[in-house]
Amino acid sequence: MAHIWPIGGGKGGSGKSFLTSALGRLMAGSGKRTLLIDLDLGAANLHTLVDIPYPAKSLSDFVKKKFPLLENVVLETPVPNLFLISGANDTLDIANLPYEQKIKTLRAIAKLGYECILLDLGAGSSFNTMDFFLISQNGIFIATPEPTSIENIHRLIRSIYFRRIRQCFTVMEFKELEGEVVNVFGDGSFNKPECMMQMVKKNHPEIGLKLAGDFTGYRFKLILNQLRKQDDAALGGQICRLIEKHLGLKVEFAGNIAFDDHVHDAICQRVSFLDRYPYTRTACDVRELSNHIISSAGDQLQINYS
Amino acid sequence: MEMNFTKLNYYEMLDVKPDVAFFEIRHAYNAALQMYQADSLVSYSFFSQSERKEILTLLEKAYLTLNNEKERQDYDNDLIRLGILTEAAKKSPSKMPVSIFDINRDQCKTGGLKNTDAEFRARIAANERIEKILAKQEIRGGDLKVIRNELAVPLEKIAQKTKVRIDYLRSIEEENIEALPALVFLKGFIKSYLKCLCIEPLDEIYSRYINCLAGLGKKS
Repeated sequence: MAHIWPIGGGKGGSGKSFLTSALGRLMAGSGKRTLLIDLDLGAANLHTLVDIPYPAKSLSDFVKKKFPLLENVVLETPVPNLFLISGANDTLDIANLPYEQKIKTLRAIAKLGYECILLDLGAGSSFNTMDFFLISQNGIFIATPEPTSIENIHRLIRSIYFRRIRQCFTVMEFKELEGEVVNVFGDGSFNKPECMMQMVKKNHPEIGLKLAGDFTGYRFKLILNQLRKQDDAALGGQICRLIEKHLGLKVEFAGNIAFDDHVHDAICQRVSFLDRYPYTRTACDVRELSNHIISSAGDQLQINYS
Repeated sequence: MEMNFTKLNYYEMLDVKPDVAFFEIRHAYNAALQMYQADSLVSYSFFSQSERKEILTLLEKAYLTLNNEKERQDYDNDLIRLGILTEAAKKSPSKMPVSIFDINRDQCKTGGLKNTDAEFRARIAANERIEKILAKQEIRGGDLKVIRNELAVPLEKIAQKTKVRIDYLRSIEEENIEALPALVFLKGFIKSYLKCLCIEPLDEIYSRYINCLAGLGKKS
């Protein structure tokens, strides 16, 4: 079964697409059949980063049933072993993917026969983004060391936590639960997944147990991107500790990626940063991260929707 | 799984084990402040204003309690009574700050002379052969070597302890007059050697040896 790594981060411009393409190239380079899927619906540009300026097919063609199988819209890239499902030239309403089509897409992704699958998710915490993120236990968060980005990453992690709880209930049940949480913990507490979780454990022990199992099974990772010289390298570890202490979610800090203006240059020239500037600090960081991510993948324990 | 910070005990709040030394508590408090302070990037937007204030108050209380020997003792006793802490987990007395200026600290580790002077003296008194040598009027280099071997002290250890070059020490034992330093230095070296092995009376033995050496060579 394929390893799936969804790559998300609350804020735009934090390097999700760059990291996806770089990791994809490295994984393909190590001989694994790797597929990149551009799920930044409505703002897709992963194809530009892997040098396919005019993709012939896109995810919309699958969603709109032009092709029966998701495999049919896979494009070959100039890099050997690297494949892409592009989001370019999507229909204009793709950003608001209806629920059934989202589930259909998720099931299709889970069945694909590739060794590594990387999902490039969009910014923000829309349902689509979160559901795609929760497809696997290996989600990767990426943020930059700025308050804006940190704020969004905290928000995204809480939302995903919340979303996972929400997935286990019907609308009515959930409303009831929310009401109770507000009663017990006071105003505003329905926004705190940790309070929610306590209530679930009390009222629905079997669901609580299942969720607790899920949350301990998650191997989320955090990467800090665009770390400048003056930034604190220990920041990522501290964020992970905070999340574990207060949300009970284990997020592993995978590493920092140094800031480099050459990334901008490489994107403008539309060449691979890793090939163009292989000996920069940033390239070394990315390579190290890639090794770490591949080696710590372990078994894909479970994929929702499969 | 999901934590309620207010329900943690002080050790858990500061992320330390119950047996830590006081200076570690201060480090832990500083690290916690880095995470929870109002201008910290780590927890930016993670807490509401009132939550943050509550956490900081608790942290300060935890620090002030644990950093005070008596209050910490009382707090530990409370925890033990409540069954949160076991007696064994609390104290490991070996864990105390070590002064970096304590010059005696490594002596045992680095293979310096472990034996105390008193032990040497007792062994000298008990050893017939040494006694016989010390009774002689003429003490030669070879005699010193015999004494050293009887006490089972390698020459390297004497060199290490007295900081006298090992070839000088060897020359003293071998009576190699050409290799010996000038008399003013030699006097000190011999006395160091004798002192190191606790051969007494020091001055008496020294003069017997140096007389003997004078008889041998023209240099001294």
